[in-house]
Amino acid sequence: MSSRTTISRVAAIGGLSTAVLLAATACGAGGPAETPGSAGTSTVNVLVEAGGHAELTGVAEQCKKETGVSANFVELPYDGMFNRLSSEFSSGNVSFDVAALDSVWLPSFKDAVQPIDELFTDEAKKDIFPALVKEANVNGHFIGMPAWTNAEIILYRKDLFEDAKNKADFKTKYGYDLAAPTTWKQYQDISEFFTKDGMFGTDVKGGVETEWLAHVLQAGSPMVLDENNKVVIDNAAHKDALDFYVSLAKSAPSGAAQVDWAAAQNLFNQGKTAMTRFWAHAYRQIPKDSPVAGKVGAAPMIAGSAGVGAVPGPWYLTVPKATKNTDAAKKFVKCAYDYNSMGIESSLGLASRISAFEKYQDKAGYESFKPLIETLKGTATATRPATEKWQQIVDTVLVPMLQKAVAGGDSATLLAEAKKQIEDLLK
Amino acid sequence: MRVAERTTHDAGAPARVPTEPAAHAATRPSRRRGRNREGLEAGRRGTRALLWVLLATAMVLYGFPFLYLLFTSFKTPIDTIAVPPTILPREWTLENYTNALGRGGVLASFINSVQTAIISTVLSLVLAVPAAYGITRYKTLSGRIFIMAALVTRMVPPVAIGIPLATMMASIGLSDTPIALSIAHTTISLPLSIWLMSSFFEAVPNDLEEAATVDGCSRLGALWRVVIPVVSGGIAVTAIFAFLASWNEFLFALLMTAIRSQTTPVVIANFQTQFGLDWGSMTALAAVYSIPVILLTLLLQRKIVAGMTLGAVKG
Repeated sequence: MSSRTTISRVAAIGGLSTAVLLAATACGAGGPAETPGSAGTSTVNVLVEAGGHAELTGVAEQCKKETGVSANFVELPYDGMFNRLSSEFSSGNVSFDVAALDSVWLPSFKDAVQPIDELFTDEAKKDIFPALVKEANVNGHFIGMPAWTNAEIILYRKDLFEDAKNKADFKTKYGYDLAAPTTWKQYQDISEFFTKDGMFGTDVKGGVETEWLAHVLQAGSPMVLDENNKVVIDNAAHKDALDFYVSLAKSAPSGAAQVDWAAAQNLFNQGKTAMTRFWAHAYRQIPKDSPVAGKVGAAPMIAGSAGVGAVPGPWYLTVPKATKNTDAAKKFVKCAYDYNSMGIESSLGLASRISAFEKYQDKAGYESFKPLIETLKGTATATRPATEKWQQIVDTVLVPMLQKAVAGGDSATLLAEAKKQIEDLLK
Repeated sequence: MRVAERTTHDAGAPARVPTEPAAHAATRPSRRRGRNREGLEAGRRGTRALLWVLLATAMVLYGFPFLYLLFTSFKTPIDTIAVPPTILPREWTLENYTNALGRGGVLASFINSVQTAIISTVLSLVLAVPAAYGITRYKTLSGRIFIMAALVTRMVPPVAIGIPLATMMASIGLSDTPIALSIAHTTISLPLSIWLMSSFFEAVPNDLEEAATVDGCSRLGALWRVVIPVVSGGIAVTAIFAFLASWNEFLFALLMTAIRSQTTPVVIANFQTQFGLDWGSMTALAAVYSIPVILLTLLLQRKIVAGMTLGAVKG
């Protein structure tokens, strides 16, 4: 037998043995996690979207010191998390003790998670934004503790706004001083003014629905569904909001139908747009080597006739009914509330308690917090309709409709069609 | 070569003494032949050039996305999102690699990916080789039905079996283990492995086994000593496909793994969050993750080529 053959055979046998050994031990390299959901353990498995992991890292360390409860994080990408949650909740066999849920998923999983009413003390309710307290309460029970929240605010190019020539030119053209916009008319004028020399005043996002819905809230209408789940998408507020939204397209880069969060953020960070309506966390995530780094200002979302209004984007910590580790899980959720401000020091830099945001609002680098607090406290700010079909409505009706609208479709016709489609989905 | 032969043959033709007009006439076909030769050569050169262009196009089509990924992994954060995008980094940096490899759980996920892919490949081969051999050598109706049925499983969307599989694994206590994920991955690679191995076994003449039997081998002995060495190229090809199917698989890994067995594709996807996309780190980790597969392919290159041409010439 040649040495080559011998080596091949030894390699084959070695490979097989390794495989069998690994299979027999059935162990992975992620560490010796305690069995999920096992009763009485002081370790909890926390399922979290990858972007939110950093938010809870500091909390977990503090929680271990204070209560002895340690946390293993299971990070999943946003797009796959809903499938995983659906799969595990429906099987009744969960691999986690705490799950961070996007607010749009709360209605879908409301029956799979435990009430945590005891954590919502009067003091806690006062320190959480009103829209979030309302959203966390499903059928009379609080089922999720807000871990962090976000809202769209106005980000603008401070350097361009403070430029003497721009100021003079703007005043000459529009008859008032160039400053961060406080009305939608001003936003429209400023967008138009900066659309020149290869630059654009703003962006129009055809790929996402929340900005258009914020306009609806600012006009005093519920968004898409009223409190009785009646579809109101064809009312005057929705039509006016859509017409205004589309009107900004002339001051925005072409191809609005395809612009989503990532595209809009890139355009702004590249210095291609003078203003953007964007989630507040983006203020602190501007790359250091961006041409706009250090040149960005933040302002609250603009008010409509009903006041400042935006759609918040909170994530809630929930405790599955199927976990056998309820006590430790609840302790972890309480820690997350108690040490909520630690999330602000993370890369995402968000929290959910008013006091946490207020603690940092005057510190350098956190200039987006005051506008964020004002927006989240806005009289017209409201969370998405509490229907488990919401994501489906967004994906199959609202976004396609917006894309047609920004491409020149008739708003009244599109809204009427959308109403029918949503009614069919809700049947 | 053929042109040269033809020229020699022409030169050896019986000599005739041409008259003046006849000599004139004789030069005409030879000129025509010369022109034909030139035409043929020009045609060949054209075909060759066309082939090269097609090959180059295919190379660019297949290679460019990977090269772009590689270049992006060396870009600064603002460069990765440049509008319009640039191919080469304006400034080269290793920061993305530091970020990606320094992220918690990356090394563990690599080990998990290797474990899972090896177990799944071994399982696929151990099951596919005898199954394919049986189907090709004992040409029975049940064999034909079986091989068709194996293909049908490829027609089911993975998500349709992913969730029940995850539930089953949890119920038998294998949740979040590489073996559970390997079994799930085997459901993807096994049908393809059986089909591939069947075609390789088909190419091996029965006479070889008969000769081995005459020399005293049992049926299994002939399979082990004669047939398997002959189809080793095919086994290498099948192993590569099975390994890749597991190495790159995402959906089952997403549904079935958590802390102990999460594989790298899930970790790579984690760079895209609801709050932004870290292109630099994502491409850096993807580039590193592709290295073992490239090395494996290079290592088995000869076997793969042999396997791909196995059965191309029969008789």
